[in-house]
Amino acid sequence: MNMKGKLILGLVLFSSLGSSLGWSEKVLAHGVQIEHSASQAIEINAKYDTGTPLENAQVTVYSPDDPTTPWKQGTTDEQGNFVFTPDPSKTGYWEVKVRRAGHGGLTSIPVGTETNNAQVSASLPPDNQNNQTSFYSQTSQGLSPIQKGIMIGSILWGCVGTALFFSKFNFNHSSDQNTSNVRQQESEG
Amino acid sequence: MHISEGILPAKVLIGGYAIAGLATWYSLREINKQKNPTEGVPKAALLTAAFFVSSSIHIPIPPASVHFVLNGLLGAVLGCYAFPAILIGLLFQAVMFGHGGLTTLGINAVIMGVPAIIAAQIFQFRYSIGHRLKPHVSLNLFGFFAGATGLGIAALLFFGLTITNIPSDFDAQTEQTAIFGLMLAHIPLMGIEGIFTAMVVSFLQRVKPELLPS
Repeated sequence: MNMKGKLILGLVLFSSLGSSLGWSEKVLAHGVQIEHSASQAIEINAKYDTGTPLENAQVTVYSPDDPTTPWKQGTTDEQGNFVFTPDPSKTGYWEVKVRRAGHGGLTSIPVGTETNNAQVSASLPPDNQNNQTSFYSQTSQGLSPIQKGIMIGSILWGCVGTALFFSKFNFNHSSDQNTSNVRQQESEG
Repeated sequence: MHISEGILPAKVLIGGYAIAGLATWYSLREINKQKNPTEGVPKAALLTAAFFVSSSIHIPIPPASVHFVLNGLLGAVLGCYAFPAILIGLLFQAVMFGHGGLTTLGINAVIMGVPAIIAAQIFQFRYSIGHRLKPHVSLNLFGFFAGATGLGIAALLFFGLTITNIPSDFDAQTEQTAIFGLMLAHIPLMGIEGIFTAMVVSFLQRVKPELLPS
C-alpha cells in the first residue's frame, strides 16, 4: 500500500470512529459549532377577530408552579406568532398573556397532560403535526363567515321582531286611545 | 374599544358593574316616567341591532384599525333608552363574537353607555343653546357634537382605564406608546361618527320627526 492509500484508509477509519462516538450530529468547522436537538416548543398565534395579526404585542408566559411570576417575556412577530419551549418537568397548565394597546387575552396551554399529547405537543410525527395544525386553525380562526352571518342574522331578526311586536302593541294602544277619544266626543255631543 | 377578559383587575370590573347597575336603574326610571314607556321600544330595538353590527364594521386608520361604536347616535336618538340598548348590544357582542366579555360587560357598558347619556343631553342643548340658530343648523350641529362627543368620551374612558391599569408583568412604556397610537386613530373616527349622527338625525327630522326625542 502506497502513501496515498494509507491516508485514505486512515480517513475512513477516523470517520467511522467519529460516527460511532455520535459526532455525526455535530458539524465542526473553523470554530463554529451547530447542534440540534428535539424539543417540545409551543407556538401561539394572536389575531384580532378580524383576522389581522396582533403584531409586536407583549407576551408573558407563566409556568404551572408559579402563575404570578413571569417565566418568560417577549413580543409577537409581524404575523402575531410567538414561540416558547416550556420546561417539560413542569406539567400542568401554562398561561400565556398577550397584550397590545389595551387589547389582548389570556390562554391556558396544557403541557404533559393527556389532552396535551393530542393537541399541543410539537414533538409528534409529521402526520400528527398536520392534525395539530388543523386543531389550531379551527380554534384560532374561530367562526366561519357562514356561521358568523347566521348569528348576526338571528340577532338582527330578533331585534326587528321585538320592534314589530312593540309597534303593534303601540298601534293598538294608540288606536284604543283614538277610539276612547271618539266615544268621549260622541258622548259629549 | 371593548375591554377583553383579563385586562383589568377584579376591583375595577366590580366597580364597573356597580356603576352600570346605577346607570341602568336611572335609565329605567326615566323610561318609566314617560307617558307610554313602550313607545320608544321599537326604535330602541332597531338601534340595538345597529349598535350590535357596528362593531363588525372596521375602518383602517393607520397605524391601527378602528370600528364604529355609534354610542353617540344612540344617545341622540334614543335618549334614556340608550343605556339599556347598549347594555343588550354589548351582551350579544360578548356572547356571540367574544367582543369584550361577560366579566367586563359592566365596565364596557359604562365606557360606552355613560357617554351615550351625556350625548343625549348634548343633543337636547339644541333647544336651549341652539335656539338662536336656524333649526336645521342647530339640529345638524348638535347632532354632530352628540355623535363625536359620545365616541370621544368613550375613547378617553377606555384609554384612561387601560393606561392606569397596566400590569407590572408588562413593559408600561411600550404599552403606553401603543395606547397613544390607538387613541390618535380614534380622532378621525370622532369626526366620522359625528357626521354620520348629524346625517341620521337630519334624515329623521325630514322623514319622521316624532322619532327624535323632544
